[in-house]
Amino acid sequence: MFTRIIRDPASPTEEVSALLCSVAADIISTVEFNSTGELLATGDKGGRVVVFQREQESKNQPHRRGEYNVYSTFQSHEPEFDYLKSLEIEEKINKIRWLPQQNAAYFLLSTNDKTVKLWKISERDKRPEGYNLKDEDGRIRDPATITTLRVPVLQPMDLMVEATPRRVFSNAHTYHINSISVNSDYETFMSTDDLRINLWNLEITNRSFNIVDIKPANMEELTEVITAAEFHPHQCNTFVYSSSKGSIRLCDMRASALCDNHSKFFEEPEDPSNRSFFSEIISSISDVKFSHSGRYLMTRDYLTVKVWDLNMESKPLETYQVHDYLRSKLCSLYENDCIFDKFECVWNGSDSVIMTGSYNNFFRMFDRNTKRDVTLEASRENSKPRAILKPRKVCVGGKRRKDEISVDSLDFSKKIIHTAWHPSENIIAVAATNNLYIFQDKVN
Amino acid sequence: MDVEAKRIMALSISKLYSLRTQRGGLKLHRSLLLSMTMRAARDIYHTAQLLRDAEEEQVVPCAPDAAPEEPMEISKDSPQTLTPKEVAMKPQEPKETLEEDKENRCASERHSRKRRGKTALETDFLPLKKAKMETDEEKQHLQGEVLRTNNGNSCRQAETLTAFPTNRTIVAC
Repeated sequence: MFTRIIRDPASPTEEVSALLCSVAADIISTVEFNSTGELLATGDKGGRVVVFQREQESKNQPHRRGEYNVYSTFQSHEPEFDYLKSLEIEEKINKIRWLPQQNAAYFLLSTNDKTVKLWKISERDKRPEGYNLKDEDGRIRDPATITTLRVPVLQPMDLMVEATPRRVFSNAHTYHINSISVNSDYETFMSTDDLRINLWNLEITNRSFNIVDIKPANMEELTEVITAAEFHPHQCNTFVYSSSKGSIRLCDMRASALCDNHSKFFEEPEDPSNRSFFSEIISSISDVKFSHSGRYLMTRDYLTVKVWDLNMESKPLETYQVHDYLRSKLCSLYENDCIFDKFECVWNGSDSVIMTGSYNNFFRMFDRNTKRDVTLEASRENSKPRAILKPRKVCVGGKRRKDEISVDSLDFSKKIIHTAWHPSENIIAVAATNNLYIFQDKVN
Repeated sequence: MDVEAKRIMALSISKLYSLRTQRGGLKLHRSLLLSMTMRAARDIYHTAQLLRDAEEEQVVPCAPDAAPEEPMEISKDSPQTLTPKEVAMKPQEPKETLEEDKENRCASERHSRKRRGKTALETDFLPLKKAKMETDEEKQHLQGEVLRTNNGNSCRQAETLTAFPTNRTIVAC
């Protein structure tokens, strides 16, 4: 169900209001808007993809513009079994990436741990009727009864949205795929696992090119893995990949076929005063995203989000603390495995605001220009019709104010890992376990 | 501090084992992070252990007057010489490491416990970034099955198929 809300223009901070969309069943594992923001795709742990479409503005119901309704649902991946290694391959969708729209159909890439698939989503709202050789039910007509010839005519029918798998890119990854990224040339894409990055042509499924390989000759010498990778939004020869050691490498495919040698290396020296047993884990980068402009990079590690200038490798331009109050709780978070959570981060359309998730169904937004930040909560109680989301605050110690929540009361089972921001408008999609929330701020 | 280190070490080991039975196959990234944390914790724990053993050696001489120098020398040398050997000893079942520690601790408990010097511990608190060599052996024991030659019935250190120098200093009496 959807509810629409209106922003309070008198309020100083960026007001966010709720369009609640509840998706039944499985844990959402990825969320992605397409390039126009008209479509929103979610992938889940059960291998399903659900695509939402934004309702068109209509004169009859002006208030209903901006709502996202279910457009198509299909089973993208099934669980598989690798008989050679006696391993089960999970059907969970790790990433979805849309291709830019080139005709009436929509195309997206979805991937599980081992296989990438290209799906075509198309509409059918007309049906040809009036065949000569068969009747309306499809039965073959007796040729003796055919006395005239007619041309079949397209008649309207109820809208049907079909999803068909057009390409299957498989058998190229030994390790688990963590990222896919479509190149700006619209011809190639890359798939990334823990140790290798492969380049594919969208038309060719039986061959891919390995462009990065960090697998050591002796696996015992392994010290870092690749955690995410992305193509530059405009330069089709440039891509970045992040590592579990907290570094980012920018590579130029023109330099050599195998991009093991980076063109740029981004790493911030570690603060020795923060050293602990868990320093390695919390410095591991869980997500890397280019800004829309292509000038900046954003990385997410366990406690912070950092914005890097591509021209400065020595340290980030900006560092934002997401939930620094967790720094003293790392041991408990290690015990309950939360320290391994791989939070994602997103830019808004103008690259002025960045957003990332946290625990207790909180998510955070940082305005890069005003340096203000806000914590919001995605929960059913807060998402009533016409409700404005109230900023939340975590109390670190001492006296807790009425509206604040103490660190010890945070629910670590409610985490917001996946979020997405509309490419041009202030509409965000936030996945809270198995619920999808769509928020927007809207002028009255 | 070493209590914490031991706890983290045990926690990491159990997580590593449970990873193997998880659906979807072994997650390389997570097992790498777990093994790094385990190693850091183990280093702290062993260093603290060695320091304690060394101090207790000094407290109670185990040899007649003529040779008090010897055990002192050995114990002084042991932190340095043991460490690389400790490194080489890594390819073992983690359970064995804990058992070995129990053995050491039982032995040292007989001696009076001397309070550890603060200075000795301060630097040990910070997990050191060890050379890559350690990673080799750690990964080796993670990946390969280590066969015990005594069927697990003996408390002794089992010989493993991986060769390692056997001349480690053993704390006397």
